Amino acid sequence: MRRLPALCVLIATLAAAPASAQKQAPPTPGTPKDFVLPTPTRFTLPNGLKVTMVQYGAIPKVRVLLSVAAGNVEEAASEVWLADVTTALMTEGTTKRSGAELALAAARMGGSIGAGAGPARASVSGEVLSEFAADMVRLVAEVAQTPAFPAGELERIRADKLRQLALQKSTPQGMAEAKFAEVTYGDHSYGRMFPTEAALEGYTIDQVRRFHEAKFSAARSRLYVVGRFDRAAVEQAAREAFGGWKAGTATEPPRAKPTSARVVHVVDKPGAVQSTLIIGLPVIDPSHPDWIPLSVTNTLLGGYFSSRVTSNIREAKGYTYSPSSSVNSHPGDAYWAQSADVTTAVTGASLKEIFFEIDRLQAEPPSEAELDAVKNYQAGTFVFQNSQRGGISGQLQFLDLYGLPDDYLTGYVRRVRAVTPATVQEMAKKYIDDARATIVVVGDRKVIESQVSEFGPVK
Amino acid sequence: MRITRLVVVPLAALTWLGLAAPCADAGGLSVPVQYTKLDNGLKVVLSPDPTAATAVVAVYYNIGFRIEPKDRTGFAHLFEHMMFQGSANLGKMEFIKLVQKNGGLLNGSTRFDFTNYFQIVPPNTVKTILWAEADRMRSLAITQDNLTNQQGVVKNEVKVNVLNQPYGGFPWIDMPQVANVNWYNAHNFYGDLEDLDAATLDDVKRFFETYYAPNNAVLVVTGNVDAPQTLGWIREYFGPIKAVTQPAKPDIAEPPQQEEKRASKSYPQAPRPALAVAYHVPPRFSPEYYAMGLIDQILLQGDDSRLYQALVRKGGYTGEVEGGINYPLGTMFDVNGPTLWMSSLFHDRGRSADDILEAFDTEIEGVRTTPVDQATLDLAKVKMRSRLYGQIEQFSGMGLANLLACFALFDDDPALVNRLEDEFAKVTPALVQRTADQYLRRTNRTVLTVEPKPESPAAAGDVR
Repeated sequence: MRRLPALCVLIATLAAAPASAQKQAPPTPGTPKDFVLPTPTRFTLPNGLKVTMVQYGAIPKVRVLLSVAAGNVEEAASEVWLADVTTALMTEGTTKRSGAELALAAARMGGSIGAGAGPARASVSGEVLSEFAADMVRLVAEVAQTPAFPAGELERIRADKLRQLALQKSTPQGMAEAKFAEVTYGDHSYGRMFPTEAALEGYTIDQVRRFHEAKFSAARSRLYVVGRFDRAAVEQAAREAFGGWKAGTATEPPRAKPTSARVVHVVDKPGAVQSTLIIGLPVIDPSHPDWIPLSVTNTLLGGYFSSRVTSNIREAKGYTYSPSSSVNSHPGDAYWAQSADVTTAVTGASLKEIFFEIDRLQAEPPSEAELDAVKNYQAGTFVFQNSQRGGISGQLQFLDLYGLPDDYLTGYVRRVRAVTPATVQEMAKKYIDDARATIVVVGDRKVIESQVSEFGPVK
Repeated sequence: MRITRLVVVPLAALTWLGLAAPCADAGGLSVPVQYTKLDNGLKVVLSPDPTAATAVVAVYYNIGFRIEPKDRTGFAHLFEHMMFQGSANLGKMEFIKLVQKNGGLLNGSTRFDFTNYFQIVPPNTVKTILWAEADRMRSLAITQDNLTNQQGVVKNEVKVNVLNQPYGGFPWIDMPQVANVNWYNAHNFYGDLEDLDAATLDDVKRFFETYYAPNNAVLVVTGNVDAPQTLGWIREYFGPIKAVTQPAKPDIAEPPQQEEKRASKSYPQAPRPALAVAYHVPPRFSPEYYAMGLIDQILLQGDDSRLYQALVRKGGYTGEVEGGINYPLGTMFDVNGPTLWMSSLFHDRGRSADDILEAFDTEIEGVRTTPVDQATLDLAKVKMRSRLYGQIEQFSGMGLANLLACFALFDDDPALVNRLEDEFAKVTPALVQRTADQYLRRTNRTVLTVEPKPESPAAAGDVR
């Protein structure tokens, strides 16, 4: 919701200063140690629930995650955040115990249990001490299958969601993301980041029950268990606790058809000391062979501290603190976006520099040295990602969501290393087409309108 | 509120089962801790873990924003940025690029009592990273351009995190300024923009020469490294750096609070009111401090906590109560001076702060007047242990490095990490009650409220 106060430096920039002759060179690193991805164990229950288990780590904790095809994409246009209300109510009690008893049961395992909804999937999950792994599997199963949906708690959850909505809509980042989603995804669920207050006020407990009934079932779900745990006990618990769950029907969510046009969408925030920028457009999704080369291109352009855009607008110009670009995906679609919060007076100057860097990358390939740095960074951070329970369960979920083979992970570093300077230039030309890029600016309209009008028709 | 059907937590919850974890056994944590001091005073802590895929190199300097110069608010943090701007052998951006091109992550942060710099890297690059850290400890080399550039960056950081946010600095910057009276604890540590602008290259040079000395720092290396080899590199690169006589530390003590304080901040962009309550806590690592850690678990941490039950589930005042000791910039372990136990929440118009405080106070008075039962205390200890383990593994081993660094820097005792569980185990129901009675009195607290944007007819709907 709100940005974590960080007081962090957040590393950044580019241009290597030519080393003078007197300077010492850093000692050369040793030979890298091999890194092997932990091997998953998988099985499927007769009702269709797919289970993936990975033994990982030294700390005796375990993460249990049930991922369900019940995210916001499953909502009708009149049901925005119904998935959020439903999942919030799921931890308010089951047919066996109250919400307070659920929380206490998880706390006794040294952890907590939670449920929530994202754009594509909903989840019920918990992280507990290892000896309670099987107990947590059973608790997740109980919450997923037998929520009580106490009608008396709906008003409170509704008030919480209304408050959350107001808070999120009041941040410039929330405003920018909602506008970008709206112009990129239009009528699709991904275009509706926020419900209206009236819609939230209208949801009934019956609607919540129907949503759960239709969307939560074995064939629509996957269970991930990652960490240190007794494998046999967890498998037995999964079979027993989920074996009786109704199968239901796995359905394909409606695919989004994102679009973009070179238009400047201004959201007025009178008196704002910064402008919040998002520049972006639809690109290919993770199942496409260009995905990894595009991801490397993104890192070089704006995706890490040493990137070109960060080097330029932060470390050379001092316009901003935490610019970053990323490729974000849903099953079946993705978009690239560069974000930055820049001082109001340099709103236009910042846009100019961002487009300058895109154009430069399209015009000439990067040097081998610059690209090697990106590739090493991307390979190294891939290892970090796969060295944490949350990272591993996230990666496994990613494979399943996009229908990717394990080879996506085991061959990831090899594919990153295969990207050439010419490929990066080609990716920039093919996908980061600034003539089509949507521009969203949340800021003080009367001050910035003249600064941004040269970048496209202003709305 | 009542927690019903509380049973005694089985012993298994208090110990680790026979899982082959190098860092934990039935006796609790046993993290390897090799502690050395170089002749120049640099403290060195090594904690090898052959199962790790990565290594962490972290340098903590014993200079936090609390004691930055009085006419230069925000300077400790601005200076942190300067440490990335160049040293004798690494020009601007070269340190960062060196780490990133070797597949590593890096960052720095400024807190009440330290400034840290850390790298999470592939283990084969540790020697290179140690060389680079030593280079910037020995020889900061920056220009006016670098300073001007980072003044711009830091002002934008303050804008994005505070000035352009609907709730500004609530509660993390606002509360210390109203709850404390000693300037060292009560100033705007992110910095007034004028003070940030006023910083000169001379200020930077003097600050570096004073505080960024080996005898005012600790170096921690954790992860998949060979300890003797690593120590050899550390002696080679850091050993020749000269010690600097440290100035006397200013008096950061906070006088005992005698009256409850109330303060209100007006944030006209804020859509809802908000409320934060903060109490001064017992001295670091006194028996009462450990008790306070468990009181935090009982009252505030997790959906099972008493304040969550009372304010969220039962009262319906808010969806979440956030907070803790040294919240939100750290934990009870990484602060070395007066700090606060804070709770904070957003609520709706039509539910007054006083109504919420009444429900809040019922829970506070509960622990002050009635001893917690053993089951409640045991549950708090399990939660604390789980949280401690979570902190240790946080961010690929950086969480462990953080504890080792602070315990070496502040307590000269990094092995304390392995005794924390014993210290919490000693806490009794009587100590919990005594601590609550002494520290959770109203006269020891500050209540901070947020006045949101004026109510308009359109906003009437949020009165629920």
